Amino acid sequence: MANPASANMNAVRETMDVLLEISRLLNTGLDMESLSICVRLCEQGINPEALSSVIKELRRASDSLKASENSTSQG
Amino acid sequence: MAALDQKSPNVLLQSLCCKITGKSEADVAHQFQYAVRVIGSNYAPTIERDEFLVSEKIKKELLKQRREADAALFSELHRKLQTQGVLKHRWSILYLLLSLCEDPRKPSNRVPVCSYGALLAQALPRDVHSTPFYYARPQSLPLSYPERSATAHNSSMATSGISSMGVFSINGPGPTPPSLLTGLQPVGESMRGSRLAWTLPVSSSPSGAGAAPRPTSAPSSSPAPRLPQRQRRDGDGSAEIGEAALVRDILYVFQGIDGKFIKMCSPENCYKIDLKVPLCKSLRDTSSRLAELGWLHNKIRKYTDSHSLDRAFGLVGQSFCAALHQELKEYYRLLSVLHAQLQVEDDQGVNVSVDSSLTLRRLLVWTYDPKVRLKTLAALVDYCQGRKGGELATAVHAYGKTGDPHMRALIQHILGLVSHPILNFLYRWIYDGELEDTYHEFFVASDPTVKTDRLWHDKYSLRKSMIPSFITMDQARKVLLIGKSINFLHQVCHDRTPPGKIMPASKSTDSPKDATELFTDLEGAFQSKIDAAYFETSKYLLDVLNKNYQLLEHLQAMRRYLLLGQGDFIRHLMDLLKPELVRAATTLYQHNLTGILETAVRATNAQFDSPEILKRLDVRLLEVSPGDTGWDVFSLDYHVEGPIATVFTRECMSHYLRVFNFLWRAKRMEYILTDIWKGQMCNAKLLKSMPELSGVLHQCHVLASEMVHFIHQMQYYITFEVLECSWDELWNKVQQAQDLDHIIAAHDVFLDTIISRCLLDVNNRSLLNQLRAVFDQIIEFQNAQDTLYRSALEELQLRVQFEDKKRQRVEMGEWGVTAEQEAEENRRVQEFKDTIPKMCSQLRLLTHFYQGIVQEFLRLLMTCSDESLQFLSFRLDFNEHYKARDPRLRPSLGATRGRRSSNI
Repeated sequence: MANPASANMNAVRETMDVLLEISRLLNTGLDMESLSICVRLCEQGINPEALSSVIKELRRASDSLKASENSTSQG
Repeated sequence: MAALDQKSPNVLLQSLCCKITGKSEADVAHQFQYAVRVIGSNYAPTIERDEFLVSEKIKKELLKQRREADAALFSELHRKLQTQGVLKHRWSILYLLLSLCEDPRKPSNRVPVCSYGALLAQALPRDVHSTPFYYARPQSLPLSYPERSATAHNSSMATSGISSMGVFSINGPGPTPPSLLTGLQPVGESMRGSRLAWTLPVSSSPSGAGAAPRPTSAPSSSPAPRLPQRQRRDGDGSAEIGEAALVRDILYVFQGIDGKFIKMCSPENCYKIDLKVPLCKSLRDTSSRLAELGWLHNKIRKYTDSHSLDRAFGLVGQSFCAALHQELKEYYRLLSVLHAQLQVEDDQGVNVSVDSSLTLRRLLVWTYDPKVRLKTLAALVDYCQGRKGGELATAVHAYGKTGDPHMRALIQHILGLVSHPILNFLYRWIYDGELEDTYHEFFVASDPTVKTDRLWHDKYSLRKSMIPSFITMDQARKVLLIGKSINFLHQVCHDRTPPGKIMPASKSTDSPKDATELFTDLEGAFQSKIDAAYFETSKYLLDVLNKNYQLLEHLQAMRRYLLLGQGDFIRHLMDLLKPELVRAATTLYQHNLTGILETAVRATNAQFDSPEILKRLDVRLLEVSPGDTGWDVFSLDYHVEGPIATVFTRECMSHYLRVFNFLWRAKRMEYILTDIWKGQMCNAKLLKSMPELSGVLHQCHVLASEMVHFIHQMQYYITFEVLECSWDELWNKVQQAQDLDHIIAAHDVFLDTIISRCLLDVNNRSLLNQLRAVFDQIIEFQNAQDTLYRSALEELQLRVQFEDKKRQRVEMGEWGVTAEQEAEENRRVQEFKDTIPKMCSQLRLLTHFYQGIVQEFLRLLMTCSDESLQFLSFRLDFNEHYKARDPRLRPSLGATRGRRSSNI
């Protein structure tokens, strides 16, 4: 029982490594954790188009927040 | 990780939000809400679910960034990914990564810092629409005034004055490069502007610009004072319309719906931009180029709408409409993607990345392929107007002959759909013999009024116009023949073998795709399928005809009885019939003759024929005209019905009757001449005692032998040159025949040959008349000789009686003759002798006439082109007896020889 489970874990890990590598190649800026969340979401059949726009949006929001913090700290 | 697997998308999303923004769950409530909304509203992807496509796109992207090594690396990784079966939606993850991809060499365009104000406002997306946020669009400015555009930009910012000052003040000094700025604005902002513009009447003159002349599409004259005003008017909505507005309009036009500015111009039958709308020329051009798509769409749509409900248009037409619909659906899918894009841009407002915004130019590129497709379809629709069934398939097929592989694939696809019903008809027809062609689309037509006896000949025919061009005439004929054979078996032969048994090849249900393959690959499967069906069905039909209906036996029976092949029977029949037939035709009764016929059959070898054949043999009396004897009206008949009547049709039987009459007549001449000869031989000795007759008798002998020669040669010609040769040919052909049509054709050829060689056709009318005259002379000669012999024999008998009486009286001791008796006897002998010259002259006259007729016959034979008739003329005049007598024969003979040698 344990053997197939661990083999499965290995396979998952390898897959994740490969995906991370691709992600790095494409310069997506996702770290391991966000990537794994994304993978899970995708595996649940979520529209990747929508997901990507959400991620972009979140980044924009956080960037702008930081920028505003910077500017307030400057001001 | 494993624990996370079970979590719902919402939980995952929330952790993603926390992760990316780096805040706690409570802080990201807004963002989380937004994320759920976006994901929930776009659940169905608008893109292809094709992993390969996505991976190709990634490679292209990497190559675009000039990272060939990385592209190779990616292929490697992708392959690795494919080998591990952990992921179910690989394409989806890859697509996600691709859309998050950024070119590391470019400055990050992720979020221009300058617009964070707007972003803040946008954190809750439902607020987006309420944000008034627009300014003049640089690209709507005339291109020839770049330096002014800059000032205009500023001035418009200064004057547009609707609550967006703050934004621009942030925007202005910001570090955003101008290129980015211009690239950023077109869709989101201008969209908003145009949306606002839509709410205002376009044509209404702006109050603020009352002093300025109305802007036109050609701003070259006095541009300087107008420019700022035009920019300002953008806000009012009455000046030049924005590109985004046009894009929106165009998207409607694509579906054949009139837009706000671009409308269908019915007199010119094209989409036109309202001339009153101020617009720069390049945009106007681009939009009208794009609008063509709408026109093409309308055209196709009109065709499908008008035809898809028309039942009489038939199945082929319906599938053509379906194919067009399929293409249109594809096109609508594209439109919906474009609309979704527009929607997304609307929703996201300002922050749309430059790459994905919709512009006319982009549309031009994206719609290039669909346009080519629609163009082809529209041309096809034009060409197919008014066609249906096989004709329609021909039309579509004609369009497939193009060098463009894409077009060819498109047409091939449509052709596959269009020809599918035809293929169904075809299979039903060749495997079941059923014609389910309610709308007369198939190339086999059936005439329901035709009765079964003419089924083979008349019931089914080819509709030439409905034969699709990818089916050759030969194939079409074979297809017709196959179904016809099956129907013939069912309806005429009453053969109830299920079609599956005839055909070992099982019929397959072919999909439209197979249809295309079959029709394009003419050498291969389709041809062999038809050939196999043709071969099997025809073979089966011939087997049934030969075994159950004894076609070949009947053929031979025709030869034996109607063409006088059974010599002993014919001779015996003639012997028996002779006393009957010399009587007048009106006194003949069919039942008497039938009895005689049966007697003849019983007495000869004919009795060994199968009863099936003998019971069909019958006597027939032709129409009687006054003065006819039995010989003129008697005829044998052969009853044909059922399946063999298809080969022995009524015309065939009438031909047979004509030939029989001719042969019967010729046979009778032979018979008469035999009688003449017999008479001569019997009487020659008796009449030796009458030396005064020797001259007349000699004349008789000469004429008789002349006639015997003629008739013998004639009989030889008929038997060997005509009947046997043609029969042999027919028999060979029948043995090799592959289908019933071959047999029928061979039989027809056989009859035609016999008719023409027996001089019965129209061309040889004069020859036949001469021949008839010869026959008449023979009959006349028979009569003359009969009279001669009768009187001669009478005379002989009287003389013998006289001599006997003389001898008796001498024995009784009286005077043999008295002077009185002697004188009486001498007077009688003298009287008889006086009739001899009369007989002589009669015979001479007969001979003269006869020879004249024969010479005329020979002369006509000379002019014939038929080889065998030429030979006949040589045979008839082998010692040039007639040629020596008739100078007319010589030049014509020379001429024919010359002609023949020149032919060779």
